[in-house]
Order: sequence, then structure tokens, then C-alpha cells
Amino acid sequence: MQNTNRLQSSNKVLVIGGGLGGIRTALDLAEAEKDVILVDKAPAIGGLMTQLDRTFPTNNCDLCTLAPHLSEGSRQKHIELLSLTSVTDVKGEKGNFTVSLKTAPRYINLDKCTACGACYKAFPECVTFTPGLDHRAPTCMRYPQSTPQAYAVDLAKCSDVEALMKVCPTGAIVPDDLGRNQEVKCGAIVFSPGAALFDPSHLDYLAYATNPDVVTALEYERILSASGPTMGKLTRPSNGEQPKKIAWIQCIGSRGLQKGSGEYCSSACCMFALKEAMVTRERFGDDIETTIFYMDMRTFGKDYELYLQRAVNEFGVRLVHSRPHSILQPEGETKLKLSYTNDGSTQQHDEDFDMVVLSTGFKVADDVKVLAGKMGIDLHSDGFPKTEGFNAHATSVPGIYVCGTFEAPKDIPETMVQASAAACLASGDVASVKVEEDTEDLFPAEREVTGEEPKVGVFICDCGENIGSTVNVETLVEDALKLSNVAVAKAVGHGCSRESMAIIKSAIEEEGINRVVIGGCSPRTHQEKFQDLLKSAGLNKYLLEIANIREQATWVHSGDPAKATAKACELIRMATAAAVKAQPLADYTLPMNKDVLVVGGGVTGMTTALELADKGSKVYLAEKTKELGGVANKLKKTLEGANVQEFVADLVAKTKAHENIEVITSALIVDHIGMPGMFKTGMQVGRQMFYRQIEHGVTIMATGAKPNRPKAYMLDECDKVVTQIEIQNLIEEQPDVVKGWDNVVMIQCVGSRIPDNPNCSRICCQNAVKNSLRILELNPNARIFVLYRDMRTYGRQEEYYRKARAKGVMFVRYDLDNTPQVDAVDGLVDVTYHDPILGMKVTVSADCLCLSTGLIADHDSNEELAMTFKLPRTVDGYFLEDHVKLRPVDLPVPGFFVAGTAHSPKTIRESVTQARAAASRAQTMLARDVINLGARVARVDKKKCATCLVCVRACPFDIPFINADRYSEIDPAKCHGCGACVSECPAKAIQLMEFEDDRILAKLEELFEKVEA
Amino acid sequence: MENFEPVIVAFCCHYCAYTAADMAGTQRLTYPSNVKIIRVPCSCKVDALHLVKAFEKGADGVYVAGCLKGDCHFNNGNDRAASRVAYVKKYLEELGIESERLAMFRMSAGMGFQFAQTAKDMTEKIRELGPSPINVAKAQLKGEAA
Repeated sequence: MQNTNRLQSSNKVLVIGGGLGGIRTALDLAEAEKDVILVDKAPAIGGLMTQLDRTFPTNNCDLCTLAPHLSEGSRQKHIELLSLTSVTDVKGEKGNFTVSLKTAPRYINLDKCTACGACYKAFPECVTFTPGLDHRAPTCMRYPQSTPQAYAVDLAKCSDVEALMKVCPTGAIVPDDLGRNQEVKCGAIVFSPGAALFDPSHLDYLAYATNPDVVTALEYERILSASGPTMGKLTRPSNGEQPKKIAWIQCIGSRGLQKGSGEYCSSACCMFALKEAMVTRERFGDDIETTIFYMDMRTFGKDYELYLQRAVNEFGVRLVHSRPHSILQPEGETKLKLSYTNDGSTQQHDEDFDMVVLSTGFKVADDVKVLAGKMGIDLHSDGFPKTEGFNAHATSVPGIYVCGTFEAPKDIPETMVQASAAACLASGDVASVKVEEDTEDLFPAEREVTGEEPKVGVFICDCGENIGSTVNVETLVEDALKLSNVAVAKAVGHGCSRESMAIIKSAIEEEGINRVVIGGCSPRTHQEKFQDLLKSAGLNKYLLEIANIREQATWVHSGDPAKATAKACELIRMATAAAVKAQPLADYTLPMNKDVLVVGGGVTGMTTALELADKGSKVYLAEKTKELGGVANKLKKTLEGANVQEFVADLVAKTKAHENIEVITSALIVDHIGMPGMFKTGMQVGRQMFYRQIEHGVTIMATGAKPNRPKAYMLDECDKVVTQIEIQNLIEEQPDVVKGWDNVVMIQCVGSRIPDNPNCSRICCQNAVKNSLRILELNPNARIFVLYRDMRTYGRQEEYYRKARAKGVMFVRYDLDNTPQVDAVDGLVDVTYHDPILGMKVTVSADCLCLSTGLIADHDSNEELAMTFKLPRTVDGYFLEDHVKLRPVDLPVPGFFVAGTAHSPKTIRESVTQARAAASRAQTMLARDVINLGARVARVDKKKCATCLVCVRACPFDIPFINADRYSEIDPAKCHGCGACVSECPAKAIQLMEFEDDRILAKLEELFEKVEA
Repeated sequence: MENFEPVIVAFCCHYCAYTAADMAGTQRLTYPSNVKIIRVPCSCKVDALHLVKAFEKGADGVYVAGCLKGDCHFNNGNDRAASRVAYVKKYLEELGIESERLAMFRMSAGMGFQFAQTAKDMTEKIRELGPSPINVAKAQLKGEAA
């Protein structure tokens, strides 16, 4: 973003905070052609996530999943990135903010620094760093793939500045750097400063400040991390020995438990403790015992319950339902003593551990509160921003939006969703800026390689521990060097890091490499990145083969390094043989259809439709029932007290009135063809079921879920047994009935978290709390018993849970071995349950038994839609997103997005957020004028074509035809690239580009080469 | 043939089985290293020729893994692949190669566990069958030549 006019105009969005959320917001905006300034006070963007070893639920290394996003960030034409920069003041109003920025001196010229590390090697003490456990942190760039890729110098720590300057080969060190103060203008602000972590130093009973073997979860993460202070070696900080028993203690700094802690639940800690325990078990097996001391296991996210079960059943992570009293280290002992009591007894247990990990929660940093104050944003007493009931992003100041862990504690997928949603709102406040396509700048002209002898460069990643801990990469390199046509073979560490990319690039250029093989991770995630690398080195991007040695060898054969090595060698050999046959190809493009089809007319569908329609897209909103509104039509009030009916009525009115939205009710989707940017979807509409076809560029799945109604606890047998939705109706419509109740029992997890439906329905705990509080408002004398397995009132919902307890609602824990018994007796319902504190059975004669039945996927409808649209689903029937962590609303089929409860159970507020996120992601596609179809198309060799019509009949899309010259012709713009015609052509006259027969056969031949020899 | 380690080629559809294999990787679900994956855009891209070539070159087992019924990204490529596999199986019998050495499997992108299980089952089955007759014949020829 160079143009001075653009810099001075307020037609852009300022994103404060370059963590994962800020990066996603900036990328979404930039892809939708909005100008963005991204500021972060750290030397490099990436935020908290760059310090994590792996992330749940995939247990991937973060850097590998994050790195492609970061480098995307640096190359976008619409983003100006200001690192080491903080916001000092904000003035003005929506549409015209003036923001004062202060950039701290880096003492390094970013244009000159190549991140070679010479300065660090010579003067490690004067290069700044901030990772956890920094008493042993050896690095000044916080992580190998950092953006900007440059060091930062701490001049105060430097004794000999001139010597330091001389060490730098490019002369990038500038000691007279004074930093910079500047004012920028913007139309909207997205505030995503992230969260700080609770510091448990003042809690002497946890011994964090005094005992080195008590660490926080983030510090443990750094110890596990290959790029951390111990280089991934798990040792006790006190004596350097490998621990045998590790304990995690949950809820440190959350749920109002300790002095100075937040009243809220930090939402992510249960999952990260499980992850850390699992990763530990995975790496060390039975050598290390892992125990988690928890209050409620809050695994409420999509498929998180399955993750919990894997941790316990497959990895043997031990869970203890308890709050340990203290951590002590008796004189002369090296072990830590934990004192606690367990379920169903008052007896104190003492257990020894080698290390204790404190799962510290999130809090708002003090400087963030100050800045929020300058912006005029209303805050809760704990520093988190006050937002509207259904609108999680809009603050009290118009034009300032929030997302990520600052909005409320949350995990990465939800941060990504919110970041996109914030981008959606902010993009409405600024106009698009068209930048002339100028690819010359980004990539040099392509080198002609046809006719050259194949010269293959093989580059093999160790991916930190992921590959390097199972196989010796040097062995793979030696093996690759033996292959014919291989000119260069190299180990490149993290191949996707900027440093390694530069090494690969210069190897290609210097050695005249014309085919590239990467031995690393899946081409599904990293092919594009390496293709860009080829382009930047002047090679056609299709001269690449990726050997997936991580997913297919080191991860799955980690127990047998010899076999993993042999297989990795074979995979690299096969890729090399195929690369030799690779030919340069050109991508095909087509104009983009900017209309949108939204499937599902509930709150989510309407919200997405309105957002996109407001931004100028024509939206078709298809709803299978006669009315808009979906499940929300049945709901009255939210936990926070907002009126759902008014909200839905308003949405319906706006949707129906919008000139860009066409609502199609009673629509049944029957067929679908086309590709991203040019879909055609057929539906039967209305009572007469007349057929109609809609042409559109993107599709948004907002089909919702349905209330579950399992046959359990006498539901539908006894009229006193109702669901949460029904009790809510009684409360709102028949308050006199509610006022007459003496006892009410609620049973949680009915039809959820059981073998038939293993996941958590997420919404039920807060529903139970909400309805309990409402009953007590009407009838303060009612006695309410909530029988639960884990109370999952995450985030701010915890406040209401606390309130319910304070008002006398009895919360009693049950487990699957000891479920409540229900009998209908004399017009009442007798509920008998085991009380763990009394240690005996208790029977309550209830006037009303309310079952928390939650949501289930609409199996029949989803199955048909999944078949029609070719979308994958999870085992429990929800649509499966492309990447559960980083692309939570993008479906794996390009051009499709998912939002709301079609993705997984969630509240209305969360559905609205996801609806906006889907709109924002769709915007990134709709902003394009052309769609790239890639190069994977079938090509006919007319000399071989016998005009037999086999291809014409084989094609699933009726694309091939016999042309006037009497041979088969396939339009590359229409070809879907499946290869059906190729494999059936008897004359072998058709080839599928990228997957040519000789390339596949070369793999086979290479695989068996050794066997035959 | 006590230490017989079969070589098995798995042609995997990019949209389902290949992704399932990645999923098996992320979940660290181990399966025999005998299985080597070749990625194809759709199971229907796998030519009859590729299947027999694999045996000719020395595969002890070959399988094609496509999407679940009705889930094909290209309408019915998986069904085409299934009928092609059935056809080649007949042909293999004629050649004196046990038809069980070739198989068609179906799975979705989310079925990492099933991918690993399929790889295990197939390897087990081929182990029981022993080396492919082609490899046996090749070994004999080599023995005679020596």
C-alpha cells in the first residue's frame, strides 16, 4: 500500500493487535479489497499462538498451520504492517477516526535485515526477546517464521554498539533509530489486542513464585516446543531430569476462585490442559503419568467431547474431579506434594508429583484497559468490553469493533470466526480500493524450461519434531542424492519458514533447477505456498511435487523409525520420478458470478443474507419451510435477557424488505452443478413443486440443527416431563403454573454426551441456568435441582451460574454409571439421584421435570444436501469445515461456507457471529472479478482421437463434444478435472494435466525399482 | 517367505481418502508402512492400466479408495472406479492372480480411523495371501538365471 492519497484518506480500517484474530481480520478485509493498517506492539505479528507447541483438537504444530497465514499477511497489497507500534490516542468518529501511533525503535532497518542471525550470534545479550520462561530463552526472533522477518536490538543491553554494527553484513543496524510518531486516519477500527494471562505469583499456596517445578500452562507449552528454551526437551526446571508424574490444576485465575482472578470462565483451559497431557503421553508413553485436577470439564466446542474421550481412553490421561488445596515441597524433598479431596469423600489425599502445571486463565491487560478508555469503549468491571445481546462485536462506540480473546475468553477457532465477523462489520464502513493487478512486481517472468534436461532440486523439511524426531533427514537427503536427475538435495528445517524458503529459492536460481520436490507435509495445506515459491524463483508453479512424508510416514510410523525412514525415502523417490515428468502449465480463468445462494432462512441465514445484500450482492435465500426464523421462532429470551422474538421479527422484516434479497420459501434443493464462481442450483418451490434454477457464485450453508427429543426419563410419557424449550414457554406464557411449583428438577445432557450422540450440545447448561433464574423470579420459593455431569457455563455465562447458586439452585453432579431414576407418582414426578456429598440416594417429588435435550443435526435434510452439494459431514451429521482450527467457516469445497448450528450447536449470539464471518469469507471471493480454475483439465491429442464417443459418454458433466474437425474437444473452462474420460479413453488420446499417466506410472516404476534390483 | 513384507499401492482420491490419510496422520493413528499412497483427483482417474501395471511392476496388493456412495465430488466417479476395479479383478483371476489382491474401498474425508483400519486389514490380507504370483515367478526366474 504505497500510494500517498490512499495513505492520507480515512477510507481504511485500522486493526489493532496482530495476533491470530487481527491477522485474520486484516486478511479478510484485504481480500475484499479494503485498505488496512495492522499495528502490533511486538517486533513480529502472530501473538500468543506463536508460543504454543501444538493446538487442539488437531494436535498439530502451530507454526506449520499459522505460517502460511502470516506470509499471506506480508504480501497483501492492501495491508500496511506496523510492528513495534502502539496506539497512543484515538479521536473522531465512525467514518473519520484520527489515530496517533507510536513506533518504538527497532534499531534495525527492515529493508536491509535478512535475518541472517550474525548479530545474534555475536551479541546475544543485546537482541530483544519475550517468550515465556525467558530466563532460558535463547532466541531474539520469537519464532523461525516471524513476520516481519527481522531481528530487533535492545540498545540498552548493548555495550559495544560499533562492534555490533560491524557484525551485520548488510549494514542494517541503525543505532540512531528514534522510532516514529505519526497520525493516521481510518473509517473503522477493529480492536483485537488479545488477552494477557493470569499471574499466579501472589498465591503462595500454589508455590509458583517459589518453586521452579510449578509452571504455567504457557510455560509448559514453551518447554514442549521444539523452538522453545529447552529445544523441546521435557525436563524439570529444578534439576534437569525428565519428570515421571505431572499434574495440571484447572481454573487458576478463572471462575472467581483466587484472589485477583476473573469471575468468568476462561473457556479454553480445559482443552489446552487435555492437549498438553495428551501430547506428553504421546511423546513419552507410560514414562510420564499425567493427571488433570478439574472442577468441570468444559469441552463444549465442536467434537471436543470426542477429544476428551480420546485423552482419557486412548492416551490414559487421568482426570480427578477436585480442587487441590495446596502445593507443598517438604524440606529436603524434591517432589511436590498435592493435597486434595476427591468425589464422595471428605478424606484428604496427598499425592507426589514432579511437576505441576497451572492452567492460568485469560485477563485483560492494564494497557489495553487504558487504551479502551481513550477510545471511549464501555467495559465490564473486569476490563472486557460491553457488547450488545446479539451483537458480540459492536462496542459502545460506533465504528469500533472487537474480536478474539479481548471480546471474551475463547479458543482459536472461535477467534477466527469472530475476526472474520469483525471484518464483515468494518468493511461496511469503508469503500473498496481497486488496485491494478501487477503480478510483475510480485513474481519475475517465468523461465522457459521445455527442452531442458530435468534438473531436480529435492528439499526436505524436518518440521521441528514432526519429521526430525522420527527420521534422520540427512539420511533422506543422501538417498535423494543417489537418484538420477537430482542436482541438489538439502535439509531445510521448517521448509515453510521464510529463511528456508529463501534457501530453496536461491538454490533453484543458482543451480538452474527446473523441477522441485519438497519432502514435507500434505500438499493439501502447503502446495500453494510452495507453488508461490516456485513462481518467485521464476519457475512455472506446476513443476512441483510434494512428498507427504509427515502425514504419511513420520506421524503414522513414529514407533518404527526404520520403517518410517524407508517409507519416507520411497515417497521422495516416487515424487522425484513424477517431478521429472512434470510440464509447465497455465491456469484457466473465468468471470465470477457475484450472486449468492444462502440455504436456510433462520437467524444465521438471514444475517448472512442481509450482510451480503447490504454490500451489493444479489442474494437468494432458500428456506425449506414456509416461514423464516427457524428454531429461534421457538425461543423467548436469552440468558442475558435479550428478547429473541423482537430480534427475529426485525430480521424477518428487514430481510423481506431488502431490495437485493429474494426470499424463496418452501424450497427443496434438488440438484447442483458448476464450480466456484459459476454454480447452478435447482430447487422445487412451493406447493406445486415447480422447478427453478438459480445461478450463483458462492453458497452459504445455514441450515441449522434441530431440537433433540430422545426417548428418555419419561419424556412424552408423562405430562410433567418437559424440555427446556417447553419450560421456557410455560414461564413466559403460563406464569401461574410456574408460581404453583414447589420442586423443579432439571436433568442435563439428556441425549448428549452418550454413545449414540457423543458430543456436547453446548447450549443446555446456560439454558438450565437461565430458566432456573427465571423460575425463581416468578416463584422465589421454588426449590430447583439441576442434575448435571459438568456445568459448562463458559465465558461470561459463569456469572449467571454463580448467581443461580447464590439464589439457592441446587446443582448436583451425576455420572453415566449412576443416572437419575424417574417415576410418575400421584401426579408428580419422583426423581431419585445419588448425592455425592451425602453419599446416598435422594428422592425429590417434582412438579416439573425439565430435560436439557439440546440440539442434534438434522440428519435427513443434511444428508441430502451433503449429497447434492458434495459436502463432507462429521460423524454426528454436522457439516465439516475445511480446517477446524484456522478455517472454521470455509467448507472444503471451494465457494461453500457454513454458519450457525449447521456447523455445530451454538447460541443465537454465536450464530450471528458466524453468519457474519461466513459473509466476510464470501466477500473475499465475491471481490474477485475472475475465478481461477487451475490447470487440472483434460486435454485431447487430436492425432490419437478415434472419435469413438467414449469420452462424451464418460463425462459426468457432458463437456466433451465432437467438433467440426471430427475429434473430441474439451472446453478447459468447463472441465472439472476428474479424469473420468482419461481413464476410459481406449486410444489413450486424453491426458489430465497435473495427473498425466506418465507421471503416475513414473511413481509406480520408481516404487518398485528397488524391489526389482 | 517368513519375513514377507508386501508392497501395497493405494490410489487415494484427493477429496476423501487422501484427506482421511492426512487425518490419520494428525491423529497419529498408526498403520503398516507397507501401504504407499498415490494421490488422484478422483478415484475414477485410476485407469485399468494403472492397476495392472502396479501388479506387473511388483505390487502384492493394490487398492483404490474413493468417496462414500453418493459423495463423489464429480457425481459418480467413485462408482465408475468401483466397477472398473470389479472388472480388473475378473481379469486378474484369468491371469492367475488372486482377485482379493485388488480392492475398492470407500470412505469420507473425516474417516481417519477407517483409513488406518483399511490399511491394516488390507496388509493383513495380503500377508496371508503371500507374495504376488508375479513376484514369485520373477524370483524363480532370477533363481534360475543365477
